[in-house]
Amino acid sequence: MNEQTPEKKKSLWNCITASREVSLLLVLIVLCALIGIRSPEFLTISNIGEILKNNAVIMIMALGMLCVLLTGGIDISITSTLAFAGMTVGMLFKYKLIQSTGLGFLIAAAIGAMCGAIIGAAIAYGGVASIIAAMGGMYIFRGLAYLVANSQWAGADALGSFTNFALSSNLGFGVINNVIVITILCYVIFFIVLKWTKFGRSIYAIGSNRTAAAISGIHVARVEFLVYVIMGLLAGFCGALSVTIYSSAQPNMVLGKEMDVIAACVIGGVSMSGGSGTVGGALLGALILSVIAKALPLVGIDAIAQNTVKGVIILAVVILNVVTKRMMDRSNLERRKL
Amino acid sequence: MAGRSGRTISTDRKRYTKGFFSSWEFVLVILFVAINIFCKIISQNYTAANVLREMPKYLSEMFLLFPMAYILLLGDIDISVGATVCLSATVSCFASNAGFPIGAVVLIGLLTGLACGMLNGLILTVFTELPAMIVTLSTMIIYRGIAEIILGSGGSVSLNDVSGFSALAGMVGLFPYLFFLVLILGVVFTIVSAKTPFGRSLYAIGSNRSAAFYSGIKVQRVRFIVFSITGAMAGLCAVFLTSTLFGANTTTGNGFEMDAIAMAVFGGISAVGGKGRLAGGIISAFIIICLRIGLGEINMNPQVILIILGILLISAVLAPNISTKIKEKKQVLARK
Repeated sequence: MNEQTPEKKKSLWNCITASREVSLLLVLIVLCALIGIRSPEFLTISNIGEILKNNAVIMIMALGMLCVLLTGGIDISITSTLAFAGMTVGMLFKYKLIQSTGLGFLIAAAIGAMCGAIIGAAIAYGGVASIIAAMGGMYIFRGLAYLVANSQWAGADALGSFTNFALSSNLGFGVINNVIVITILCYVIFFIVLKWTKFGRSIYAIGSNRTAAAISGIHVARVEFLVYVIMGLLAGFCGALSVTIYSSAQPNMVLGKEMDVIAACVIGGVSMSGGSGTVGGALLGALILSVIAKALPLVGIDAIAQNTVKGVIILAVVILNVVTKRMMDRSNLERRKL
Repeated sequence: MAGRSGRTISTDRKRYTKGFFSSWEFVLVILFVAINIFCKIISQNYTAANVLREMPKYLSEMFLLFPMAYILLLGDIDISVGATVCLSATVSCFASNAGFPIGAVVLIGLLTGLACGMLNGLILTVFTELPAMIVTLSTMIIYRGIAEIILGSGGSVSLNDVSGFSALAGMVGLFPYLFFLVLILGVVFTIVSAKTPFGRSLYAIGSNRSAAFYSGIKVQRVRFIVFSITGAMAGLCAVFLTSTLFGANTTTGNGFEMDAIAMAVFGGISAVGGKGRLAGGIISAFIIICLRIGLGEINMNPQVILIILGILLISAVLAPNISTKIKEKKQVLARK
């Protein structure tokens, strides 16, 4: 009995450190508990709902970024795509060219998919390094967003009924806000696709070993192209979504937030070199990032210092990652010696 | 091996052996001339005097191009340079307002940049598993965040006494001092990358890091030096930027990292490492600067310039790839 106790402890510890998701979940729970003790209003349902709603855009785009990072690429054009799609939809509503909410989302998603297709074609079929193609796309789409805007912007009154979408909860049976329902839906779909479909598994295969994937019959270029189209589609969709959430469409929407999306993935344990990372990890990474952003003012850190703290946390998480990996490798080696 | 091969237009090695006329640099020179003619046609005001007067605004970005080219050659990337520029500019503005003489202010700006670069280098060389993208991403947020803290709630600072910085922005005849400094640094960086053991080790590391390590190159030391140089050059960029802007704010240096990478890649330096020459990067930088000035003269919407830059960037990498693919296909067909 006495001998078994340390063994059991060790296995629990192993369980925590071995699974990235479990340790992230623990971090999230501890974080929430600490903040909850400091300021009880943090853990109210309305506050949590507010956090989820305000970070829905980042959370949804983290899914697309997960796929892109899994193939070993990177896409920093997403917020430009988002601005272009969102701005176009905003202008369409402003000049009363479209009225229906569904059509707005459809157009935004189509524009996003088109933007993604341009970048994806250059990367998958043209052999352009993903960072370069994405950077070009970042310039082009942000420029297009400004051109579409034509030094105008769409406010709540111009958008009309479109803003109601983020306020109502008819998709969530009157209980859950529409935006949160859509976020959950996206996560369920991506979880299934990445875990159990041929397409999902081929994304992992490409990221782990491109040559092996090609030889085993995966259309590498086609899958890669589709990944960027999906990323664009999500970014475009999020364009419309952020227009309804913030009830305004401006050409400089979410400028620089692509770094938040990448950071969410990286905190969630998605490898930047491809092949490893899960939907659960991306979700937890995005949640941790948004909880931190929300919590800093609650625990009395000045709003002006928030970016610095965020940067330090991201850096700390990645370094911690490396350190634990090294420790694990070393302990594995030692076990083999015995 | 990889170092010698800049991006060549032709893959047919038999006819074009190392000829300047088949090199990417030659295409860039032609493009440079074409852009200048184009700008001259669209704008009456596109004169040498006007161009040189406008140039200092953009020239300081070239300080970032040189070390960025080195970093790309290593197969790394540094997206924190824009934030480093912001932090250095902020610190040197405050130092100048605190009454330091201009020499000390320049030194402070340089040292701030150097410190930022050394921190990047230190993290990347101690934790070699980490990709440069994510490390510099987080330090980018941190450096700009520190600048935000220093700048306080107003978010901007302007110089009380501009005399020192005005001296930096002085001219020799038509040419600003900055122009000569950029040229000298350009020559130094080009020669170092092409002719010295240190420069050649950049190519070796970029082509195959483990092979370079096993052939005795101190890979991590080279990386640390290059990242530190990048920081110092960002500090230099910040000082000269301040001499044209007479202040700093939270958006100073926004997007500089992207501009520097774009210039380098457009100049034929591969973003995956080991390929390209600095000369191409310098020519492409002048192409982009002239295009910006020219389109600025006819009051073109700056967003259109952004779009043009984006298209240029993608097509500069895409065009040679496609031509190679077509040629390969033709060869296969011919063999059949």
